[in-house]
Amino acid sequence: MASTSENAVELRRVAKRYADIVAVDYIDLDVKHGEIFGLLGPNASGKSTTLKIILGLVKPDSGSVKVLGINAEEDAVAVKRQVGYVPETPRLYEFLTGLEYLDFVGDIYAVEMSEKKMRIEEHLEALELEGREGDMIGSYSQGMKQKIALISAFLHKPKLLILDEPLSGLDPKSARIVKDLLRKLTTQSVTTIMSTHILEIAQAMCDRIAIMYEGRLLALGNMKELRKKARLPGSDLEEIFLKLTGTEDIKEVVEALLK
Amino acid sequence: MKWKNVVRLISVEIKSGRLIRGQRLRRYRESRGLQYLLYGGACVLGLAIGLAVGYFYNGASDPELKSLIYQGAYSLFPSLPTLILISSMVFTMMAQIQRAGVTFSIQPPYWLPITWMEHTLASTLAHLIGVPLVSIILVGSGIAAFSIFLGELPLATFTIFALLASAFLASTTTEIFRVLQARLTGAVYKASGKAAVWVRFIGSLLFLVAFYVVWFALTSGAGFVTLIEVVAGGQQAVWFIPYLWLGLTLASFMSGLLAQAVLFSLASLLFIFVLFYLAVRLNARFGLYEPPAITVSRGVYAPKVGLLGKLGFSSLEAAVIRKDFKAFTRRRELMYIFIMPLVFILMPLMQQLGVWGEPAATEPSHFLFAWILLGPGAIMAVMLGTMIIGEEGGAVWHFFSSPITARSFVKCKYAFIVLLSCIVTIVCGAIGIVISSPSPDIAIALLVESVLLIFALGAVSLGAGIKGADFTEVPRPRMVRPLTALVTMLLCLILASAIFSPLLLYAVTMGYIPIPISLPKIDLYVALSISAVMTAVIAFVSYRIALKNAKEFLVRAEI
Repeated sequence: MASTSENAVELRRVAKRYADIVAVDYIDLDVKHGEIFGLLGPNASGKSTTLKIILGLVKPDSGSVKVLGINAEEDAVAVKRQVGYVPETPRLYEFLTGLEYLDFVGDIYAVEMSEKKMRIEEHLEALELEGREGDMIGSYSQGMKQKIALISAFLHKPKLLILDEPLSGLDPKSARIVKDLLRKLTTQSVTTIMSTHILEIAQAMCDRIAIMYEGRLLALGNMKELRKKARLPGSDLEEIFLKLTGTEDIKEVVEALLK
Repeated sequence: MKWKNVVRLISVEIKSGRLIRGQRLRRYRESRGLQYLLYGGACVLGLAIGLAVGYFYNGASDPELKSLIYQGAYSLFPSLPTLILISSMVFTMMAQIQRAGVTFSIQPPYWLPITWMEHTLASTLAHLIGVPLVSIILVGSGIAAFSIFLGELPLATFTIFALLASAFLASTTTEIFRVLQARLTGAVYKASGKAAVWVRFIGSLLFLVAFYVVWFALTSGAGFVTLIEVVAGGQQAVWFIPYLWLGLTLASFMSGLLAQAVLFSLASLLFIFVLFYLAVRLNARFGLYEPPAITVSRGVYAPKVGLLGKLGFSSLEAAVIRKDFKAFTRRRELMYIFIMPLVFILMPLMQQLGVWGEPAATEPSHFLFAWILLGPGAIMAVMLGTMIIGEEGGAVWHFFSSPITARSFVKCKYAFIVLLSCIVTIVCGAIGIVISSPSPDIAIALLVESVLLIFALGAVSLGAGIKGADFTEVPRPRMVRPLTALVTMLLCLILASAIFSPLLLYAVTMGYIPIPISLPKIDLYVALSISAVMTAVIAFVSYRIALKNAKEFLVRAEI
C-alpha cells in the first residue's frame, strides 16, 4: 500500500509482542481523512494495542506509523496535539471537579481562553452535566465520567479522534448526541477511529470496518465488502463477525450450558 | 452465622495483601509456607526468650535477684492484656488510616448471601492479622515458656486467653470507629459545602499529627517503660473502665480473689459482646454508606491566566502545577507529605518543652532552630521529588497522550517541588524564629541554606522519581519503587551533608558545636557561597539527568 495524503493514518507491517503474547501481528492499515473507522474484534484481539500504537502510547516492535502525515515515532508530540483520545477505561483525576478537569485539559492543549469557556459550557449542557460540574469526579457515575472523558477529547477540535468504546455507560440520549456529533465532524474532515463491541453501533456508524483476531487483520472494508468476504449476502455485521472470527458455534455453547 | 463464610472472608482479606506486596499478577504463585513463616518465627522467638529468661531465673543463686524477677513477672502479667489492647488498637487504627488512601477499597460483597454479622466478625479478625497477631504469639509463647519455670502454667494460660480477648476488643473498637468516622466525615462534608476540601485537609492533618505524636511518645525513649509502669500501677484505681477489666481479671486471679476474677471475666465477655453487637448494627446501618459528593465550585466558570501564567509558565505547565497542588491538598494518601515536616517539628519541640516528663531546656537550642529551618523543607523536597511522578497512578495516560515535552514536564514538576517546599520552609522558619529568637545573621543564613537544599535535593529526587515511578494503584498507590526510594534517600542524605558542611564548619569554629581541636575560622558568607556553588552544580547535573529520564519516560510509555 502506497502512502498517500488522503490517509489520516497509515500503519505498515506493524507488530507488537508482550513476552510470549502476540498483540499485533504485522498489520497494514489505512484510515482515510474524514471517515469513521471501526476496529472490531473479540477480547484480546489487539484492538486497544493498535489504537495505542497509533497514538504513540505503545511503541511497536517493528513497522512504521504515520498519523496525519507525521511519523509518530519522530514527533509524537506533534501527533498528540492533533488527536483526541478516550481510553477504554478512562482514569480521570478524581480529586478534580468536572469543570476543573476540563479546564486542565483545555490548558494542556493550549485552547484559547474564551474558546475554552465556550466549548466547555456547550458540551456540559449538551451532555446534561450542568449542575454537577462543580462536584469532584470521584462522586460521578461511570456514565458521567465517560461524558467528561469524551468532552475532553473534543475540546481542542482535534483532526483525529481515537475512541476506545466511546459509548460505554452513556444514557441513550447522550449516546445519540455523541453519534450525531461524530457524524457531523466527518463533514469537517475529522477522522474517527473507534473500537467497540456493540456491532449494531459499528454497522450503523462506521464507513469502514476492520475485524481483528489474535493480532491479525481478518477483514477490512465497508459492509458490502465484508459481506462479500464472509460470503454472507444480506447478513448483518454480527453474523459476519461471528463467521470471520470462527466463533459461530453459539448454539452448541448455549445448549451445553443448559444441560 | 455461617463460620465457613467468616473463614472465606478472612481468607479474601489476607489475599488482598498480594497486591500490596507487588507480586506478578500473571501466572501468580505463592508459597503457603512463607505466609506462616512470620507467625512461626514469632512463636520460636517467644519460646526462646521465655526459656532463656526461665533458665536464667532457675540458675540465679541470689535469692534477692530471684525474688525480683518473680515480682517483676507477677506485676507484668496483669498489665499485658491492657498493653496488647493499646498496641492492637494503634495498629488496627494505623491499618484503617492506610486504608483511607486505598483507591479501590475492599467493600463488603453485599450482593452475596453474607450477613452483616459474618462480615463484621471477618473484618474484625482480619485486622488482627499481621503485627497484632505476631505480638500476641511472641508474648504468649514467651510467657508460656517462662511460666513453666515459675510453676504458673494456669496463670499463663489465662493470660494468653486474655491477650486474645484484648486484641479482639481493640479490633472491634476500631471497626466501630471506622464506621462512625465514615458517617461523621460524610455529614461534615455535606454541612461544610464549598469549604469541605479545606475542612477535610485540616481535619486529616490534625488527626494524623495527633496520632503520630502519641505514637512516637509511646514508642520512643522512656515512653514505653513509663506506659508499662502506669498500666501496672494504675489500672486498679480506674477499675470502672471496661477496657481494663481483662487485666483486672488476671490481677484478681493472682491475688486469690476468685469471685472478683469471675465477675470481671464475665463483665469483660459481656462488654466484648455488646461492642461487637454495636459494630454489627453500625455496619448494617452505615456499612455501605457513600459520603456525599463534595461540591467545590458553583456559579459562573471564568478561566484566567493566574499567578503562574504571570510568572512565565505556559498554560500547559501552569495547568499541571495547579493540578498537582489540588492533588496534594485533596488526596488523603498525599496529605502524608505535610505530616512528616509537622511531626519533625513537634517532636523535638515537645522534648524541648519537657512535655514527656523529661526536664525542659532552660534556653533555646541552636540545634533545634537549625533543625526546624532545614529539616522540613529538605525532607519535603525529597519526598515530593520521589513521589510526584508515581502519584499520577492510572491517570498518567494524560501525560502520555498529551502534547507535553520532556522539558515542560520536568520544569513544571520541579517548580512545584521547589514552590511547595519553600512555602513549608518559610512557615517552619517563622515558627523557629518565634521559639528560638536567633540573630538575624544566623536566621538568614539558615533560611538561604534551606532553600539551597530544596533546589539541590528536589532535582536529585525528581530525577530518581521519574526513573523509579510506580503507577500501581490497587489497592494502594505505591508511587515509587522501594529500592529507588531507599537509594534516593541515602544519596540525598550524603549530598545534603556535603552542601551543609561549610555551614557546619562555621558552626564548629564559632563554638556552637564544641569539639576538642581548633579549626581555622570561616566567614558565614564564604560558607554560604561555597554551599551555593555546590548546590548549583548538583542541581544542574540532576536537572539534566531528570530531563534525560523524562525523555525516556515519555517515549517508552506503555500503559
